[in-house]
Amino acid sequence: MTRDEIITQILHFFRKEFEIENPGLDDNLREKHGFDSIDAIELLLKIEKMLGYELTQEEKKQAMDIRTINQICDYIESLTRTRPVLSGGEAGLT
Amino acid sequence: MERRVVITACSSITPIGRTKEEIIHSLVNGISGVKTLREDGLLSSHIHSKVFGTVDYPVSYDFKRQHRKTMGPVAYYACQVAKEVIGAAGLDQGFVTSGRLGVAFGSTHGSPTVQRDIYRTFFGASQNDFSTIGAVDYLKSMVHTTAVNITKMFGITGRVISSCTACTTSSQSIGYGYEAIKYGMQDAMLCGGADEYDTTTVAVFDNLLACSTAFNDTPHLTPRPFDTMRDGLVVGEGAGAVMLEEYGYARKRGAPMLAEVIGFACNNNGGDLILPNLNGIKETIRIGLKDARINADEMDLISAHATGTKMGDVIEAQAIYDVYGNLPGVVGLKSYMGHTMGSCGAIEAIIAIYLMEEGFIAPTLNLDEIDERCAMINHVVKLREQPVRIATIQNFAFGGVNTSLIIKKMS
Repeated sequence: MTRDEIITQILHFFRKEFEIENPGLDDNLREKHGFDSIDAIELLLKIEKMLGYELTQEEKKQAMDIRTINQICDYIESLTRTRPVLSGGEAGLT
Repeated sequence: MERRVVITACSSITPIGRTKEEIIHSLVNGISGVKTLREDGLLSSHIHSKVFGTVDYPVSYDFKRQHRKTMGPVAYYACQVAKEVIGAAGLDQGFVTSGRLGVAFGSTHGSPTVQRDIYRTFFGASQNDFSTIGAVDYLKSMVHTTAVNITKMFGITGRVISSCTACTTSSQSIGYGYEAIKYGMQDAMLCGGADEYDTTTVAVFDNLLACSTAFNDTPHLTPRPFDTMRDGLVVGEGAGAVMLEEYGYARKRGAPMLAEVIGFACNNNGGDLILPNLNGIKETIRIGLKDARINADEMDLISAHATGTKMGDVIEAQAIYDVYGNLPGVVGLKSYMGHTMGSCGAIEAIIAIYLMEEGFIAPTLNLDEIDERCAMINHVVKLREQPVRIATIQNFAFGGVNTSLIIKKMS
């Protein structure tokens, strides 16, 4: 997945699941859009479906400090560097 | 220190209407809210009872996603009536978030709809490695989901009571809210209960042979409290909320005062978890009267629990007669809408307020031929125009829990 594809997918999630329209890529999601810890857990489930595999507890904990869309994309890129998207994943499906 | 407690707003979602006007219309015209049980693809085909007290009109919500994300259907009901009573009471935001307002709100078992989704996730896990329980599923389904979604939505920071005692859930909510204000712990309490459309509860009562089955083709003819042809209860859905306030505070701010809560009692039969208990019910009624500091002959209206079961109605009629004699008019409001479970106490209290305001007692629907074992009390069988000054709402639950709530018209 390219960076642009990830951003497109994440913005789709935010619009569809979180009703947050076009957040700035460096917006503090909690402060500016009310994106809370419950939303973060929901987002991780979406990322698991996108990648096609279950994240480990350690991988999930690494996501807890994420505050911006760009940081979410960094996180997904770091995951795909060690474990590529599986064929059953929903990457690319919007 | 004992303080007076008044009801300053009420709101309900019932199978016989939303507004006071709609509900009164149903009561005056004998319109039932009992409909055919919907197919749910899980339990409905196995259930012998095919009737349900149904909210079949649209209820509109305008909750933000920030709030919706932790709400199952039961919390939608709860938050909607809560929103309406906060608005109708006219409490300002500063008071609502001050800690002086608490919430007493419950349901029978949270959201069964969401719980079913959780079980689907469990049983589907072998085919899907990343299937797991959603982060919000517990918040949507937990037994205190109604109370805390209300606190979240409105920023309420006072005490939280979340009864989950089935049929006595919301009468406990109002009673415990009343006590919290009466004894100075809170200045106001938002109280009530809700239950969503749910066939699990129907299945439970059906298995216990307690559900009505003889009127599956004519749902409006059941339940039939105190009638010779009664054959069991009808489960229903709904929500009811009232705002309770300390009298002095309500008067000072010029709040509307719909009625005063003057007494409450709750006890347990101390034994069987299912069978109704004459002594337990009589004791609840007596404790309630003592708390209200009134005599039995001052009671004008009894809203009986009256589910339409064979034994329950006989025991309740006997208890009413033993304590009140045959003076107060008795109505079984479940005859109109079935047993709305966790919301029935609040809905019945709200309807009692409406009857006080309108000056009549609605008849028990479908009470065509009174069972002679229930005949010793003063059944209202056709609309009776009479002033109602004091009314009691009686509710009894599985687990042997009994409540008696007593309200008085504002003078």
